[in-house]
Amino acid sequence: MGRLILKGVTRKFNGFFAVSGVNLEVADGEFVCLLGPSGCGKTTLLRMAAGLDAPTDGELLLDDNKIEGVNKECGFVFQEYVLFPWRTVKGNIEFGPEVKGMQKEERERISQHYIDLVGLKGFENHYPHELSGGMKQRVGIARAYANNPKLLLMDEPFGALDAQTRNLMQGELLRIWENEHISALFVTHSVDEAVYLADRVVVLSARPGTVKEIFDITLPRPRVRTSPEANALRDAILKSLGAEIKRAAGKV
Amino acid sequence: MIKNDSERKGLIINILSLIGFIIFWHILIVLAREHIFNIPFMRLKDIPTPLETWNALVGSMFTQTYGPGLTYGIIDHIRASLVRVVQGGAMAFIIGVPVGIGIGYSRLIHNILNPIIEIVRNMPPMAWIPLAIFILVTGGSIFIVFIGVVFPIILNTIYGVRSTDARLIDAARTLGASQVQIVAKVLIPSAFPSIIAGLRIGFGVGWMAIVAAEMVIRSPVGLGYFIWNMGDLGRYAEMVAGMIVIGVVGYIMNISILLLEKRLIKWVD
Repeated sequence: MGRLILKGVTRKFNGFFAVSGVNLEVADGEFVCLLGPSGCGKTTLLRMAAGLDAPTDGELLLDDNKIEGVNKECGFVFQEYVLFPWRTVKGNIEFGPEVKGMQKEERERISQHYIDLVGLKGFENHYPHELSGGMKQRVGIARAYANNPKLLLMDEPFGALDAQTRNLMQGELLRIWENEHISALFVTHSVDEAVYLADRVVVLSARPGTVKEIFDITLPRPRVRTSPEANALRDAILKSLGAEIKRAAGKV
Repeated sequence: MIKNDSERKGLIINILSLIGFIIFWHILIVLAREHIFNIPFMRLKDIPTPLETWNALVGSMFTQTYGPGLTYGIIDHIRASLVRVVQGGAMAFIIGVPVGIGIGYSRLIHNILNPIIEIVRNMPPMAWIPLAIFILVTGGSIFIVFIGVVFPIILNTIYGVRSTDARLIDAARTLGASQVQIVAKVLIPSAFPSIIAGLRIGFGVGWMAIVAAEMVIRSPVGLGYFIWNMGDLGRYAEMVAGMIVIGVVGYIMNISILLLEKRLIKWVD
């Protein structure tokens, strides 16, 4: 199971509201993308789902349990990878199992499984600085998965990659995700990415962020990025998002 | 070691520079002794020439006996000073790293210890010598080294802990790490390069401190004692040879820790 519910989630930072009254549900095994103008609190929402930050008002529930303190049942994938530079690929992936006190053989079985799954066979003993951006994020994804999470939280994980690697990694992410269906909340700036990946796309309003519009994407996977249906969806989402970007820009 | 033409060129210039310095030194002393040139208010002629220094170095390399008396060789002096630096440095490392981690990690520990450290670290190691003689029955020089090494280690450890990427801590927390595990598996490895840099800086300070301490805290063996004693006896060639040995050993120590750093820390770009 891995059902995330946000009930009236509000987060206030010294004097301004980052997000206000967000109601949202990520069903078990669902892939939800969050889209919104810069500064609308997308990352804040993810951090609260991870328990790295707490709402000022409202609550977040994972499988009906209130998220209080760090949510150890989530796997967080960061934009800048945030790998432990002193650990090898294998060492990074084994971090979660290791701090849980898992035996060495068990840890190695898990890390090997995910190294194979994300396509890093042969790079087990490489350090992060020896890897390309795409490979680093493969490690980031494997590290999150190896912790056996109920919920994947991804904060623009491909934002730092070049366009081609980005498209490739989106396909790879779906392949991995379809292998082990875990609920996913994915923050992105890219409408194209959202339409390619998500079951549902949630458009947030300009600050204070709140749910503006939700788009169901029922296109079968693998999706064709240039299909008429995908184009129509992108068009609709861009219009919805565009209005918010203008509002956000007007405020600054 | 040497990878390309520009590095080879650099090395040649390094060697030529050293040779040039030795020639300059020699000419300067010979001119002074021949009354051709002297720097006013200096007794340049009393400085040994490079060759005299070399002969003194070779001559006093090993322990010798003069009649009933025993004179330690430079090798013994080097060993004695190095042992003291390593002992004091090891103590400083064992105490400095945990203190630095505590201060870097906890605001409370910072507030408790920082005022004391900020004042004590501004007292040069040499300022501790009279007290060390007074209160320590033995190991005064080691204590002076400790004072010299411990603060660079503490400060570098604090810096290393504090400059840990906050997102790495977030990542560790979401992966289930406890506070203790965050210290052990994130803060310490992240601070490690900085800690080793502190060790290197500390040993540099410790080496200076030991020479000064050995001059004042008399024991029959140690490089500081050696050059002071040779100066006292008017054996300036031996004295200068001792000074050069101090420089060379300090340099080798620094290079060794740098190499150790490279071997231990494979993960930095």
